[in-house]
Parts: sequence; C-alpha cells; structure tokens
Amino acid sequence: MGLLTILKKMKLKEKEMRILMLGLDNAGKTTILKKFNGEEIDTISPTLGFNIKTLEHKGYKLNIWDVGGQKSLRSYWRNYFERTDGLIWVVDSADKRRLDDCRKELHALLQEERLAGATLLIFSNKRDLPGALLAEEIRDVLELESIKTHHWKIVWCSAITGQNLLEGINWLIDDIAARIFTVD
Amino acid sequence: MMERFREHSEELGNNEIDDLEVIGTQASADDDIFDAIIGHIEDIFMEQNFQELQKCFMEKHWHEFEDKEENKLCYMDIFKEYIDIIEKHIETHLMMNIPNFSMEKFIEQLQTRRSELDGEVFEILFTFSDFTAFKEMFLDYKAVKDGRVEDLSKGICITSGGLH
Repeated sequence: MGLLTILKKMKLKEKEMRILMLGLDNAGKTTILKKFNGEEIDTISPTLGFNIKTLEHKGYKLNIWDVGGQKSLRSYWRNYFERTDGLIWVVDSADKRRLDDCRKELHALLQEERLAGATLLIFSNKRDLPGALLAEEIRDVLELESIKTHHWKIVWCSAITGQNLLEGINWLIDDIAARIFTVD
Repeated sequence: MMERFREHSEELGNNEIDDLEVIGTQASADDDIFDAIIGHIEDIFMEQNFQELQKCFMEKHWHEFEDKEENKLCYMDIFKEYIDIIEKHIETHLMMNIPNFSMEKFIEQLQTRRSELDGEVFEILFTFSDFTAFKEMFLDYKAVKDGRVEDLSKGICITSGGLH
C-alpha cells in the first residue's frame, strides 16, 4: 500500500464509510442505490461498469460503489475491495434457479482477505414479486448461518417500492460505526 | 526544554546528561525532518514537470472518458495507474532531495501525527485518491479537448464589439 492509500485510510475525521454493493446481475443493485438516493428508477439498464454515489445519512458520508454483476464482470470485483467497510450482497429472491450460483459467489467473496473486516448486509430483494422466497428461506439456501468471519444480517426489501431499504442500511451503518469509530 | 533537562541531569551525574540531550534533540530533529518533507511535497505540486506528468497522463487516457453517470470498468485501472504514478513521482522527488529518505519512516511519522494532518498539502494528497475528483479532472480535460470549453490559457476572448 502506497502513501496516498494510507493517507486516505487515515482520514477518518469526516466519518466516511465505503460501502461496496455486489450480487448477481439483475438482482437490483443499481435500483437500490438510486431509490435510496431519491432518484427515478424507471430507466435503469443492466450495469456494464460501475456507479458511485456519495450521500449523507445519519451524520455519515457514505460512498456507495455498485459494480455490474454479469458473469463476465465478476472478475473485476476485486478492483473494488480495498478499504471496504461494508458489503451489501443483493439477492433476487424470486430467481430460484440461480440461488446456487448466488451462494457460491457470496461464499467465494467472503474468503477475500481485503474484505475481512467488512460488515455484511444481505438484501433479499424483490419481495413484491409473486413467488419470492422469504428472507428466512434465502438465509437457509445461501447457508448464511455458516458465516463466522463477518458480522452479517439478512433483510428483505423491495427496491421498487423502497420498503425496508432504510432498515437494512441503518443496521449496516450502526454495525460499521460501532466497529470503526470510537466514541468521541 | 533542553535547559530543564540539563539542570535536572546535573544532579544525576554525567552519564545521563548525554542520554537526555539525545532524546531532546532527537524529538526536534524529527519535527524538522518531517516539516522539511512536507515542504518538499508542496514544492512538487508547484513544479512544471509535475504538471507535465499530469498532462501527459491525461493526454494518454482522456479519449476513454465519457460524460455519463455510469463509469466504465477501465476507469478503475486508469485510476490505479494514476495513483501509482503520482506516488512514484513523490517518492523519487523526495529521495533525490532528502538524504536517506525512507517512505516507510515517513508513513510511520504521518501515522503518529494523524490528528495534525490539516492544510492545503494534505487536501491535495487526499484528492489524488478520490475517484470522483479524478473523473471530474478527466471530464474537464476532455471538454477542453472537444472544444466545448474555451481554453483559458489562450488569452482573453472579446465577446462584444464596439471597436469603431
């Protein structure tokens, strides 16, 4: 790690958090990001690169990175691991066919050394769709109980309606804050 | 500070005098070296060859950038290359100008002074590792290249007449 990266790491005064949002393609990552930021969500197309939003929430400056989830893009995810405080893993809870793939990708990610300290929030998205699995079912299919290396929590949500997004993000922020910012 | 050490150490015998003096001078010498390094870093950003380095880098990559919200994956590679180049440039400059300069030692000093890292030079250093600022720099450069923005360095532009 070089001078500039180390300096950036030391700059905790402004209460910044870096959050990385990943998941399979069509899980709803960009929709979550835009909905949370109060933007229109009717013209979102598959992400081929990445999006960044900086927003203020609960007195923290959140830098949220959303990287495309198509299979061919997943090898690029590693470029975004550095300095990640929180990882949001987004799951399409109605896409039962790909939950196996989803579990494998998530567990592979958790082996990454550079994500070792990160808090993990799993959004079980698309709750509004008929046939969507419950968060408890997603928890079991993804074998979340076996995760001992990260603080984690699964929260159902609907990116389209915005339901439960705040609950999930608030938990994530509180958990990160408790870890990295000491009480002044 | 030194006076107080000396008075006190007279009672302790000659052996300690040297030790205490060494501690006193070592601390202020560290401060001096640290300040000198910061001064040199400030100089780097003012120099012509730093600006040329930046320009050369932007010249190489500006055509990749588009003024769109979504970023291309290649921006991240370019960003990493940029940070590498800037870091190497700073390190080379410091090694040339400060005898026995060690980046590791300097980083250690920075970490012990974490709460004092205010001022313009640190703002500049922080900006180098800020992706959003990096992208804006390229989009500004591209706007000039595309002729959408008047290159201010070319002089004053008269927008209304009256020259009879």
